[in-house]
Amino acid sequence: MSARGRLAPLLPGIVVAVGVTTYVIVLLGVESQTGIAALLAAGAGAVLAAARFGVAARMGRAFGKRDNFLNLLVVLAIVVLTVFFYEDHFVLLMVATVIIYVIACLGLNLQFGYSGVLNFAGAAFFGVGCYTAAVLTKNTDVPHLVILVAGGLMAATVGSVLLLPVLRTRGHYSAVVTIAFGLLFKIFLEVNDTLGGPQGLRVDGMNVLGWEFNDNIEIGENFEASFYVNYVVVGLILLVLAFALVRRIERSWIGLNLDAVRLDETAASCFGINIMRWKITAFILGNFLIGLAGALYAMMLGFIAPTNFTFGDSLILVSIVLLGGIGNPWGLAVATTILIIVPEKLQAIQEYRFLLFAVMVILILLFRPEGLLPRPLRAYFPGWRPK
Amino acid sequence: MDGLGEQRIRLGYAQAERHVRPGTDPGRPGTGPAARWSTASSVEFRTRKAHSMDVGLFVQYVMNGLMLGVMYALVAVGFTLFFGVMNIINFSHGDVLMVGAFVGLATYLGVSSIGVENPWGQLAAAMIVAASAMALMGVAVAKYLVLPLKNAPPLNTLLITLMLGTALHEAVRLFYPRGANPQRFPSLLPTDAYSFGNFTLRIDSVILLGTGLLAIVGIHLLINRTKLGLAMRAVAQDEDTAKTMGIDFDRIVLITFAIGSALAAFTGILHGLYYSEVNFAMGLLLGVIGFSSAIVGGLGNIYGAIIGGFLFAALQTLGVVAMPFASAYKDVFAFGVIILIMAWRPTGLISEKISERV
Amino acid sequence: MPKFRFTHFAAVAAAAMVTGLALGMSPAGAKEKVTVGFIGPLSGGTSSNGIGGRNSADLAVRLRNADPNAKYEYELLVQDDECKPNIGVQAATKFGANKDMIAAATHYCSAVAISTVDVYHKFGLPIIVWGAVLPDITYGNNYKEIHRVNGTMINQNETAAKFMTGLGYQTWAIIHDTTDYGKGHNKYFSENLVKNGGKILGTFGVTSDQQDFFAELTKIKSLNPDVLYFGGLTPIGVRIRAQMERLGLKAQFQGTSGIVSDTFIEGAGPLAEGVLAFREGAPTETLPGGKFFLEQYAKQGYSDPPEAYGAFAFTAMNLILDTIEAVGPDRKKVRNALNNVTGSNAADSITGKVDFDDHGQNTIAVITKYVSQDGKWTVWENSEYASGMRKLKGM
Repeated sequence: MSARGRLAPLLPGIVVAVGVTTYVIVLLGVESQTGIAALLAAGAGAVLAAARFGVAARMGRAFGKRDNFLNLLVVLAIVVLTVFFYEDHFVLLMVATVIIYVIACLGLNLQFGYSGVLNFAGAAFFGVGCYTAAVLTKNTDVPHLVILVAGGLMAATVGSVLLLPVLRTRGHYSAVVTIAFGLLFKIFLEVNDTLGGPQGLRVDGMNVLGWEFNDNIEIGENFEASFYVNYVVVGLILLVLAFALVRRIERSWIGLNLDAVRLDETAASCFGINIMRWKITAFILGNFLIGLAGALYAMMLGFIAPTNFTFGDSLILVSIVLLGGIGNPWGLAVATTILIIVPEKLQAIQEYRFLLFAVMVILILLFRPEGLLPRPLRAYFPGWRPK
Repeated sequence: MDGLGEQRIRLGYAQAERHVRPGTDPGRPGTGPAARWSTASSVEFRTRKAHSMDVGLFVQYVMNGLMLGVMYALVAVGFTLFFGVMNIINFSHGDVLMVGAFVGLATYLGVSSIGVENPWGQLAAAMIVAASAMALMGVAVAKYLVLPLKNAPPLNTLLITLMLGTALHEAVRLFYPRGANPQRFPSLLPTDAYSFGNFTLRIDSVILLGTGLLAIVGIHLLINRTKLGLAMRAVAQDEDTAKTMGIDFDRIVLITFAIGSALAAFTGILHGLYYSEVNFAMGLLLGVIGFSSAIVGGLGNIYGAIIGGFLFAALQTLGVVAMPFASAYKDVFAFGVIILIMAWRPTGLISEKISERV
Repeated sequence: MPKFRFTHFAAVAAAAMVTGLALGMSPAGAKEKVTVGFIGPLSGGTSSNGIGGRNSADLAVRLRNADPNAKYEYELLVQDDECKPNIGVQAATKFGANKDMIAAATHYCSAVAISTVDVYHKFGLPIIVWGAVLPDITYGNNYKEIHRVNGTMINQNETAAKFMTGLGYQTWAIIHDTTDYGKGHNKYFSENLVKNGGKILGTFGVTSDQQDFFAELTKIKSLNPDVLYFGGLTPIGVRIRAQMERLGLKAQFQGTSGIVSDTFIEGAGPLAEGVLAFREGAPTETLPGGKFFLEQYAKQGYSDPPEAYGAFAFTAMNLILDTIEAVGPDRKKVRNALNNVTGSNAADSITGKVDFDDHGQNTIAVITKYVSQDGKWTVWENSEYASGMRKLKGM
């Protein structure tokens, strides 16, 4: 196959990637409110037009064929974004926050989207990761990369406390258990002073092999990059790993088992699938990812308090998974970007953002319950499509 | 505190009598377990500088607990009504309660500015307007949000009601004038107080307690003694058969939602009168506690809901009595117990009978 | 066909982007624009103080912009910290990360202010606190960026203890919230009370969003104290006062600067009558520039009053603007200049002289005692309680 032949199917993908990256760069760069509103309207219009003219479906197919390439493009896009905004603290903070939330939602997706385990305490497990990072950075000399992993492990361990009630209950009842736990976590943190109480805890910045993450990167006299670049880089690496993990799981026999458990427990157990084992796996692994994201978030923010981890925040995580399309990691990424960046840029709606989220989710549940990017049929081979 | 001589209460339990000593707890009336408690507490109080809990204090705690119990029970009954008819958890119930309380407050402000001075008149107006408004809202919620999702996975209905609740309390916070601040709720009931030692009995507390209990009894009668109640129970048992019997399913659902929401408004006003305050976040915790109580008692069972509500209040009051200096832990304690109960009895204390089509 | 659609699509997208960019660019002005900031609780139970402070800071900026001699044109950016530490840190990070922001007047809630000092130091943004009273905000660190124009709670509680024991009260029960603010009040008041011969019967910590206080109040009732001291903010103050009444707890209610607000009186209604509170700084009308401030405030027609700390917010913002006028819009220069406002360089303001010590703390000598009378916070000396026409509880 000639070079052009190989390139042709990739062309739509490249064009879209470049277009979207430029759009996002402009969106992040513009300050004025009217400008942003105009851009958002234009973006929504473009997407609707694309869907209407069938362009979106063709692009979806093109991407489906070359999965790895698409992933690479996205990573490249984020790198370009970072380079473009290397000085701007706030934009990089937003980018890093989006990356961290995507990792956390991937964990939630694993529990919810793949194996149907309801978890309304996402923010609580995120908080466990944050507090682990806070306590470990302050009191011990554990290397910070290990702290990230430790955050994940702590969240998984705390989650295992809930295993018995979560496994034994179904539907509404398991929702109660996780909701009760989420509330319990926040209230406990507030009344108990060992973890700082309502005043919260300070967290030291990350420090890997002597490279202090909280100092601006200065090379020579004129080049000063925001210190958030460090966090974006680490976040990106973790995101790539988490994403690869989740995709691999989805495509493997493990994913198959999880799907079976989600779709019909009785039938699955008739076929010899051990429901308990898979639910436990999904729950623990999901919590690990959420805790990991939390640990990084704490070190980036430098300060955490119990009011960061309310029930409302758990609901936001669930809304992101729902909005993006349950079970579709790409949908997640798009939904997170929208739900985090738009309220930040449109200051006018900042106050109203919870209300808008709630109304949006209600509308989605009524009219498009599959979400923005519904999960496609299981593809046994990359690029396979049902005839 | 007076010594034993003046305050001995006739108990009728040798066990408790045994622990009666000067300077210690003269004992509390109660059944066996309570006597055991009094053992523990008399030791506890003795080591804490011989502080004794007198009757007045105890009765005050009981009174506090009862009020909490009535409110939780009312919310739990609401949840049970919704679950019974449609097998759904309506998470917006707590926030409907809050909106009802705000509507009541707004009505009071409106009515008193027109010139109605009589507090009973104001209260009646607030109650009626709030209950009707919430009944209408309940009908709208059922018609546009819940019934269309009848055939969707139950997760969707759960989420939609959850989001509705969020939308409601955010709307109040943003659009009610100074909505983010706690609002003073007027004292519309007579506030005469009678003191018995450490216990102060306020007339309005008694009225609130009485009315709350009456409401619970009223719902019980409605469900069990009226034709409407019969229809609701039929629909709860088996939707298809009820339809075959000529019961209009949609109408019953709408009516149930209306009744449940009106009950929520009533509870909201009760809450406002008791605490002399309403704020936009009051529905959240009440809703979760009410829901947990309903679950603990077993969903779909009114008696279970009532028991669950009082049980939850008792747990919290116990927590408070045991640790008066750290009463903030009472919520932690209560939620922890909920999780434990769920682990032990996954479908509630009075189990729901489920059948599943495979 | 597909090609046509693609170019069409690309054209639309390009047009949108160009429009966006064009709208995003601002027209050039005659004076250089300088951005200053304000953070306060604009929503939640303490919002009346936050809004009053914001209006006062806004007033300062407007007056300066109307001044033809001003070198720069000032733009005030406002952030809401919701009286929550983590939201405050977010707001502080936003301001710190904003390269155009030169300086800011920040925070009414102590719990928030103590959490954000690190952020301001990290970004090198000089700030002046206008309402938070926790001493550790200035004294707990050596950051050059942190200054404060209002007083700390140490003096407040010293005066309170002396005054109350002087009135003849002997036993206290203390309720305080569990944030650093409430804990600070508890610490300083308890120390001073014991020094003045008062007896503390019990101390209770409550969370800042607690709804039901019957448990604590029932216990306190059994302890039978003369005074119930409350170290916390308005929302809980209102609840405690209402629930005290329901339980028939007849102790005198004593609060701190946290309840000196119109919201407290609105919330507690008739129950607010006879409540005592203390605040550092003289009442706004009696300040050196108080009349001028109140006149100008009324002229601008804000729909909310400046509340207790509005004058301090005005002072803080004015000081920032003066400093920028003197040394130019540069964070480091402003920070150094502010640190120089001391001794012979002390600045004049509507609240009196501003003289920062080596921790950036302004010294405020006067503590005002307030009693709530007929729905208004009245200075003790002017009240009917002082003259004996009305009696406090237990007297």
